[in-house]
Amino acid sequence: MIDLTIDGMHVSVPDGTSVFDAARMHGIPIPTLCHQQNETPVGVCRVCVVDVGGRVLTASCVRPAENNMVVSTNSDKVVRARRTLVELLMADHPSPCARQRQSNDCELETLARAEGVTQPRFPRRLSPRGQDNSSLVIAVDHEACILCDRCIRGCDEIRHNDVLGRRGKGFMAGIAFDYNLPMGNSSCVSCGECMVSCPTGALTNKSVVKTVLPGEPVDVEELQALTYFQKVSGTFLELNKNAVVRRHYRKGDIVCREGEYGSTAFYIIEGQAEVFLSTPMAHAKTDSRSGGFLGKLTSRLMGRQQERRSEEEQRASIPIDAPVDLPYDHPVATLGPGDLFGEMTCMSLYPRSATVRAATDCVMFEMLRNVLDIIQRNKTLKAQLDANYRKRALDDHLRSVPMFASLSQEFIEELRDKVELVRYTKGDVICRQGDIADSFYLIRLGFVKVSEPHPGGELVLAYLGRGGYFGEIGLLGEGRRTATCAALDHVELVRIHAEEFHQMVAQFPVIRRSLETAVHERQEQNRQRLETATSTPLDAFLTQGLMEAQSLLVMDLERCTRCDACVRACADAHDGVTRLIREGQRFDKYLVATSCRHCRDPLCMVGCPVGSIRRRNSLEVIIENWCIGCGLCAKNCPYGNINMHPFTVMEDDPMSAGRQMAVIKQKATSCDLCTDLAEPSCVYACPHDAAHRVEPNEFFRWVGTPLAGESRRA
Amino acid sequence: MRIDRTQRPWIIATVLLAVVNTIAYIVYALETPGGPRGGTAMGLAFGIVGYGMMLYAGLLGARKKVPTWRIGRAQTWMRGHLWLGLLSLLLILFHGGFAFRGPLTLVLMVLFFIVIGSGILGAAVQHYVPNLMTSQVPLETIYEEIPHVRAQLREEADQLARSICGSLDGAALEPEAATAVATLVEIEQEDRARFREVYLRKVRPYLANPEAAGGELADARRAGELFQSLRCLLAAPVHSVLNDLENLCDEERQLSRQIHIYHWLHGWLLVHVPLSIALLVLGGVHAVMALRY
Amino acid sequence: MAGRTRTTKKLAQRINLNYFKTLHGIPRWRRILSAVFTLAGLAWLGWYAVAGSAKPYNAGPLAHSHALLGHKCGACHVSQASYRQSATDQACLACHDGPIHHANQVFTPSCTNCHVEHQGSLRLASTADSGCTQCHANLKTREGQTKFVTDISSFDGNHPEFAALRPGQSDPGTIKFNHKVHLKKDLRGPNGTVQLKCADCHRPPGSNESWPFGTTGAVVAPASFTPIDRSYMEPVDYQKHCSACHTLQFDRRFSESVPHKEPKVVYDFVVAKLTAYIAEHPNEIPLVDEPDRRLPTRPPQRPARNAAEWVQQRLGDAQLLLWQKACKECHSLTYPNGPDALPVVAKAEITARWLPHASFDHEAHQMVSCASCHAKANNSQETADVLVPGIQNCRQCHRSGADAAEARCFECHTYHDWSKGKLVVGKFTVSQLAN
Repeated sequence: MIDLTIDGMHVSVPDGTSVFDAARMHGIPIPTLCHQQNETPVGVCRVCVVDVGGRVLTASCVRPAENNMVVSTNSDKVVRARRTLVELLMADHPSPCARQRQSNDCELETLARAEGVTQPRFPRRLSPRGQDNSSLVIAVDHEACILCDRCIRGCDEIRHNDVLGRRGKGFMAGIAFDYNLPMGNSSCVSCGECMVSCPTGALTNKSVVKTVLPGEPVDVEELQALTYFQKVSGTFLELNKNAVVRRHYRKGDIVCREGEYGSTAFYIIEGQAEVFLSTPMAHAKTDSRSGGFLGKLTSRLMGRQQERRSEEEQRASIPIDAPVDLPYDHPVATLGPGDLFGEMTCMSLYPRSATVRAATDCVMFEMLRNVLDIIQRNKTLKAQLDANYRKRALDDHLRSVPMFASLSQEFIEELRDKVELVRYTKGDVICRQGDIADSFYLIRLGFVKVSEPHPGGELVLAYLGRGGYFGEIGLLGEGRRTATCAALDHVELVRIHAEEFHQMVAQFPVIRRSLETAVHERQEQNRQRLETATSTPLDAFLTQGLMEAQSLLVMDLERCTRCDACVRACADAHDGVTRLIREGQRFDKYLVATSCRHCRDPLCMVGCPVGSIRRRNSLEVIIENWCIGCGLCAKNCPYGNINMHPFTVMEDDPMSAGRQMAVIKQKATSCDLCTDLAEPSCVYACPHDAAHRVEPNEFFRWVGTPLAGESRRA
Repeated sequence: MRIDRTQRPWIIATVLLAVVNTIAYIVYALETPGGPRGGTAMGLAFGIVGYGMMLYAGLLGARKKVPTWRIGRAQTWMRGHLWLGLLSLLLILFHGGFAFRGPLTLVLMVLFFIVIGSGILGAAVQHYVPNLMTSQVPLETIYEEIPHVRAQLREEADQLARSICGSLDGAALEPEAATAVATLVEIEQEDRARFREVYLRKVRPYLANPEAAGGELADARRAGELFQSLRCLLAAPVHSVLNDLENLCDEERQLSRQIHIYHWLHGWLLVHVPLSIALLVLGGVHAVMALRY
Repeated sequence: MAGRTRTTKKLAQRINLNYFKTLHGIPRWRRILSAVFTLAGLAWLGWYAVAGSAKPYNAGPLAHSHALLGHKCGACHVSQASYRQSATDQACLACHDGPIHHANQVFTPSCTNCHVEHQGSLRLASTADSGCTQCHANLKTREGQTKFVTDISSFDGNHPEFAALRPGQSDPGTIKFNHKVHLKKDLRGPNGTVQLKCADCHRPPGSNESWPFGTTGAVVAPASFTPIDRSYMEPVDYQKHCSACHTLQFDRRFSESVPHKEPKVVYDFVVAKLTAYIAEHPNEIPLVDEPDRRLPTRPPQRPARNAAEWVQQRLGDAQLLLWQKACKECHSLTYPNGPDALPVVAKAEITARWLPHASFDHEAHQMVSCASCHAKANNSQETADVLVPGIQNCRQCHRSGADAAEARCFECHTYHDWSKGKLVVGKFTVSQLAN
């Protein structure tokens, strides 16, 4: 036992007790900032200094009590020192900081008020320290950080995640995640411990405002009982109580419908659910069979048997936002306990990619983005999801890659375990043009943009979604990347390293040939795309975004008599739904009509939940048979060029079994340049030679001179 | 359709045909005993060819109903309509020998002249007026949708007005929370009230019925003055809203202009089309009856 | 506060996609009016159809002479086999006859070829030249060659000179006549000198003025209001036009002339006269006559022994006087039966119509002075001279163009050969035509 005097009071404390603890044990409060009871004291803030008669004041949280120490916690000197310290800290503090505003309990500001520090004498620092909003759950405000290191100790000592650390020196010092990555891109698992530890508003909770999920709220204890919630901070879960709810479904209930918008993901706890596509496996086709000379053109739905289109994807399975893909011919699959679905909808707000119906009575968790983010980072769950994926979907995905299509089952088994599952966030560059190619990637989740730099911008070669793949060149172990691939949102990839692959190729030589064919094809495609792409951007177009276009429908307003013959012709050719609107912005004396521009960067293709809209090697957009009619592409198109075309389809009536009822299904349509006919119908039908389909570069050269007489036939 | 140098081949062909037919007519007129008239072989030939051209011209309307049938581009049909239609005038005059006897044939000739006249007028209109429309109505929209667009403009105007003076019918003069600017700026209540009054008394009625006569906002200069006075009345931060409103009124005026020009562009069709259909039908009756007698 | 922005998407979203499917405003009225006008037209025609009238299809007002037919379309437009109801030749022939022009013509035009109805109130017979020139501009015949000019297309164009005046043609008349002498200023007449005028010998028929140089009795005036054809001049007659000056005295004892008849009649007359005279004056039998001063070369006469011889002698003188002088002055005498027999006088062969293929009407030209057209007459000394004016004379007035006399074919020529006309037997009743 050690005896010492604190503020005139004699106390006895066990060996090793710090002065702070000694005072605290005997009811004498000493203000602190960097000291937290459950963390190792570090003594960085110096607010807890006391006078022990030494040359300098000493930090009570780290100074062990000694025998016969005389401690003064509130002498003038101590008070002055403390006050000056707080004043210095307040000078750089953005009061009221986020925490003060949120919950009125910023420890620094509370202390400042207690010390009577209102207006610091010192000016604020000029160089800002910045904020970091990349994490979905925690907002980082470096301006409010007092470098107390409580978060670092919380992450290291309490949670053992070892994400946080110090960076920089002196004036430039601050906290950092991993190698100073944005918090959301780091290995942070969103447990919330740092936020809970932070005394100020440097780390605060991002609340998901106003979203109330219907369903039964789940107790924190119950959640923490589940393996993948175990390491999540209880406080955090408490704060986000409404972000995860338990849902009960009876057999036959629809959990979610394809095409609907949503923001939640589901995790099945009990029961089986059926996932399927209720849209007909068909595309809208302008049928010219009955046409010819005198017939009327109609639009109908045609499946693969009736019409195979050039460059149509011949895939056997359709990628959806679930652990399993749906086979093309019979798009139905089953999900069971432990399956997580709806990730893309939840993380990136895409429409639901399929319909889910409870096959038996089910219990599921429905959760919002922040909760999903937490559990996705949970290593146990991640491992479980990955294993699931490998077991159920990886096969199909691998087989959907043409060069792997004919692989033997043995090969697939080997490959399956050798693949790596990697994750990228929005904006990450996965590989750059010119890099040495060393892997092949298969997309499990999210969207990847494949592009090439081009003078004046970039030319997007493709948007790839789930089931897509890129980087075949890497597998040959030669060459460099021909394009840059970047993640557009939350992306999860299957990565196959070249070396591993080569080992297997040695065992299965037939792969090499199909590889080479695939690589050759891809190079040929790229070359073709480059040829069709134009090279010279022209300033005047940029403001209207016309340079994005590769084909514009323009109307010469000096010849157009506003008779609507073009619109009628388009509607006539497409069963009454026009794909052209005679409205838009003007360019010189031309009206740039609202009709598909076949953009170089086709924004319509981003986010298709079933990956059914893509571009052929020529210009036109092709919408595959499994379009579910969600309308996202129509929403994405910045020019409003995509219209939803309703078709009437007979379906089983859910109300009365055995009967059918007419249901309207939508399919997305956009101008297809009337490729089945020699000339676009609108241009053909204009009596005044006012409508033209032009290529922007050429067109721009012609502006100022009449286009008439040089009829732009396609 | 602009009559420009791309029409040259048609013009040349028409002139040539006209010359050839005129020569043929002169020869025929001189040689036929009894003078040129519809009943002679040559007269009949002129009549048949002339009527054929008239039918072709009339079929343009039908062609437009089946725009996707691949039976010749609409442009070709339009040019044929124009030039062969003109030629048919000559041929029918030759057919009748420049005489207009008989009730039915007189009616037909009168109709024919009106149709051709209105057609020529229409061709001129369609040559010049699109330019007018393009230059005078930069904010042009689709004519049939003007009422719909106007409804949307009215909504937008109401919203803009509400952002300054709150609800337009109730007593509340607090602006809506969603528009932040007005909340942060102090605007006198009475100014808000004044604005509301001006809006309800002048702007809204104009937007509800832009074609009404004597509207203050129908005239660009007076509208400018009105908005200028509003800008003086209200503080600077809401000027952007006022500018938007003024912009909106300008768009309304342009739409009125568009309607006016559109009537010029298409009004002549009300004479041309109905009379031409009557002409074709009666012409057919004439052909049958004349051959009978 | 964002300003009002215009983007393509915003503009496009303002538009309802089905706006063009319903018609409003002008296109709608276009359709309505089309139906209205067409139906109005058809109703107008239907009204007449219901009433059974073909009035709207009338091709023009009828010719003056057919005005009675007015709206009786069926009068000419007779129903035929198919639905046709054209006006055929049969319809015309119900009232008219139209004999063909020439048996040798290559084709026979239909009535309506030349006579075009429904052209207004004109004279149907006034056909256009083209009706004639359709053959005569390039004349062909069915058999053989034609003797007519084959290329005639207009009167003042290439219409040939009148046949009578073509080279080699002459007046076939045998009466010797010198117009120049007869028309001279101081012509010796019965009572001093006279100046003859054209009208003293040449007049159209029906004139009620006396002939100044004739010996007929009083002129017989034509009956009142009788139509007289004054196209051609009355033929020249000895009694009317010559006898006043050209007396036919045969003997100094008689003042009367022999009758202007055949030589036999004259011979008998002279014999009778002489016989009657010597019977009354038998004492003059032996007297000898001095030869007539017109016969100075008569051989001297012996006194007659008896009446018969006396008559014979005086008969010889008279015959000499007549055959060698008086008659011969105008006539051509031949002696086919020898110099002692009676002569035969050649037929006069006075041409009545110089233009047999055309009709000429002097009355239409009565305002023109004779000499203005027949200028040649003043200087004509030969009987053979053809004194009919040539085509150039006619062309001065009859030419194409305004302010000219009619120069179309029908003015002088007719298509229908009326000599072959058939009788038209009328079969219509008045009520049929009038109602």
